[in-house]
Amino acid sequence: MYQLLLTRKYLTSKVMPLLAMAAVTLSVATVLVTWSVMGGFLNTLLSSGRTLIGDVSIHWPNVGFPYYDDLIERLEADPQVAAAAPLIETFGVVALPDDQVHGVVVKGVDGPSYARVSGFDDSVWWRPIDEPLRKDRETREDPRLGGEGYHAGTDWNALLESGLTLSEPDGEAAVVPGIELSGWNFRRASGVYVPGAPAMSSRDGRTDYLNLFLPDGELTLHLMPLDSRGRGVETVTRTVPVANEFHSGIFEADSRTMFARLDLIQRMMKMDAAEKIVAPASPFVFDPASGELVQAQPEVVGVDPARVTTVLVRAAEGVPVESEAAIAAFRDRVADIYAEFAEAHQGEVPSSMSILVRSWRDQNRSMIAAVEKETGLVLFVFGLVCFTTVFLVLAIFWSMVSEKTKDIGILRSLGGSTAGIAALWLQYGAAVGTVGSGVGLIAAWLVVRNINEIHEWLGQNLGLVIWDPAVYYFFEIPSDMDWSKAATVVVAGVLTCLIGALIPAVRAGAMDPVRALRFE
Amino acid sequence: MTETGPIISATNLHKTYKMGRVKVPVLRGLSVSARKGEWVAILGASGSGKSTLLHLLGGLDRPDRGHKDTAIHFEGKPLGKMSRHELDRYRATQVGFVFQFYHLLPELRVLENVTVGAMVRHGLTGFLGAKHKVNRRATELLDAFGLGHRLRHRPGELSGGERQRVAIARALINQPRLLLADEPTGNLDRKTGEAILDSLAALREKLALTVVMVTHDQHVADRADRVIRLADGVVAPEGVPGAENASP
Repeated sequence: MYQLLLTRKYLTSKVMPLLAMAAVTLSVATVLVTWSVMGGFLNTLLSSGRTLIGDVSIHWPNVGFPYYDDLIERLEADPQVAAAAPLIETFGVVALPDDQVHGVVVKGVDGPSYARVSGFDDSVWWRPIDEPLRKDRETREDPRLGGEGYHAGTDWNALLESGLTLSEPDGEAAVVPGIELSGWNFRRASGVYVPGAPAMSSRDGRTDYLNLFLPDGELTLHLMPLDSRGRGVETVTRTVPVANEFHSGIFEADSRTMFARLDLIQRMMKMDAAEKIVAPASPFVFDPASGELVQAQPEVVGVDPARVTTVLVRAAEGVPVESEAAIAAFRDRVADIYAEFAEAHQGEVPSSMSILVRSWRDQNRSMIAAVEKETGLVLFVFGLVCFTTVFLVLAIFWSMVSEKTKDIGILRSLGGSTAGIAALWLQYGAAVGTVGSGVGLIAAWLVVRNINEIHEWLGQNLGLVIWDPAVYYFFEIPSDMDWSKAATVVVAGVLTCLIGALIPAVRAGAMDPVRALRFE
Repeated sequence: MTETGPIISATNLHKTYKMGRVKVPVLRGLSVSARKGEWVAILGASGSGKSTLLHLLGGLDRPDRGHKDTAIHFEGKPLGKMSRHELDRYRATQVGFVFQFYHLLPELRVLENVTVGAMVRHGLTGFLGAKHKVNRRATELLDAFGLGHRLRHRPGELSGGERQRVAIARALINQPRLLLADEPTGNLDRKTGEAILDSLAALREKLALTVVMVTHDQHVADRADRVIRLADGVVAPEGVPGAENASP
């Protein structure tokens, strides 16, 4: 009982335990924030990995494979499959209206079916919104809110529809580049994009604004069809309208990827359906009608069906694709379906042995492994640094036991036992650890919850930019406080204090009461 | 007021302290006893072993081994055969200590300083069960010392005399049989010291306490029933003024 009373009194009347508590608070908060950011980064990486690539992809690069409609039908007949969609993935070069030229990953997709296997419909950026974003409530900078100026008359619904179908209202095939590709859109701290409008002086002295809004214009796309050996055939160039822009939240995708309508890319890549012809044996043939020699025409012997490089597959609800084992099993099921398809089209499609069937986890494996290892390493290093708290607590408690030597003598004269005195200091250590860890937990929670605002403030006021989206993949600092991990860190914080208090507690308990009473 | 029969007796006590490599003998075969209800004053100069004797009687320390017939008995039970735990219980239940420099716990309020002794004795569950009773007794003791209005003050806000009264109340909270007082007035002016001694005398009378009081002040020692004079770690021989001097 006297231990509880004195623990409370010592906690509230001394400066030194506050120092120990501050050390524990900082250690707990540091480890928790680190773990939350690294864990959040990994979780965001895992979830974003599926945003644009579905759960499993069946891939055959360069020339692609035909009869994909049959494959999709077979896949969608399986109860584990929710949807499948064709895709052509290739590299290209785009020239923007302001003469910028960028190398891009071009994805030819059928908008509606692609939306069924990915988060494409949510990623189309220029659309009507009812409510401003959380941090945009005061400034209302977001042009999608309507308002005045250049974007006042924009039909956002039409833009959205164009974006989703990758088509102009007149049916012309269009493209949807990533919102960071052109460099025309300025991302505000609130996450809102505002198209640039540089000021220009006109000849009569007035100031005009050049409104840069890519969906109002068109760009030039250069693609190079490849043969089965990956050699370029010829460069194909088309000028295509921009239907919309997309924002996936992944910087790499938003700055270097462009979606285009599937049939456009099939034509440009020479993967569309075409007649199969046989060249005549002789360049001229006798025309019985006219009785003259005429130029021989190639013989049409069939139709070469349209091809795609990839079919993306999305698992049905209830398939736990986040789990490594479950996604591997689902991938194997997709591979089995492909094997049946390959058997049905033997000789016309890649064999099941050579086709690439990969899960989203397979495609991101190296990055996931790197982040997991980095998380472990960072936690180990921080854990090691925080272990110094044990020695700090030990030093503080050693000093406090020395300061309280007379109190220990008094308590022994009142009948306090060796174990009772040691328990007092251990209890005190546990209290310091509990309070310190509790405050650390609250501090970490507040930091994690507001980490992007804090980062923004640091950038604005101190010029400190820690999180560069170009380096760290995502625009916002991902953070995810896992309460089971938080509990582990809090318990570790309390244990740290207990370990630090152990030696001073044993020393206090073993103190000679007579010497303690005579201590000056 | 005296009663017959020793409540505590010490025989042939030796105690040597080590000061680095030097051994300093403090007690050299000291034998003393106190009867139930008796007030004994141990009188001696500084370094004569008075406080050491008090620590041995209170079970805070143990006498040197290896000397024939060395023993301390409390109500016939040898302290030397008690375990650490039994000695802790002995201090918590049978003995009350009063020190020259009060030795109050500075973070605790007056009432808490008194009840902390009961907390040590009863433990967590025992104290919670007896809390009201203990608080009432502490308040009564402090009231008796004229400190009823100081219950929520801290020791730093009290005068020396008030602090010593709190220390005595703490020593008495567990209703001990033996009160061991080490220079209880040594840090007080004469008037306050007299008042403290008056309080002690009244309590001894009321509670039938045995008091063993150490002092270097003959005037203070004269308040006791009997005075034992120490010199060089032993009881001064007969004929030395003040030695084994029973009060009238």
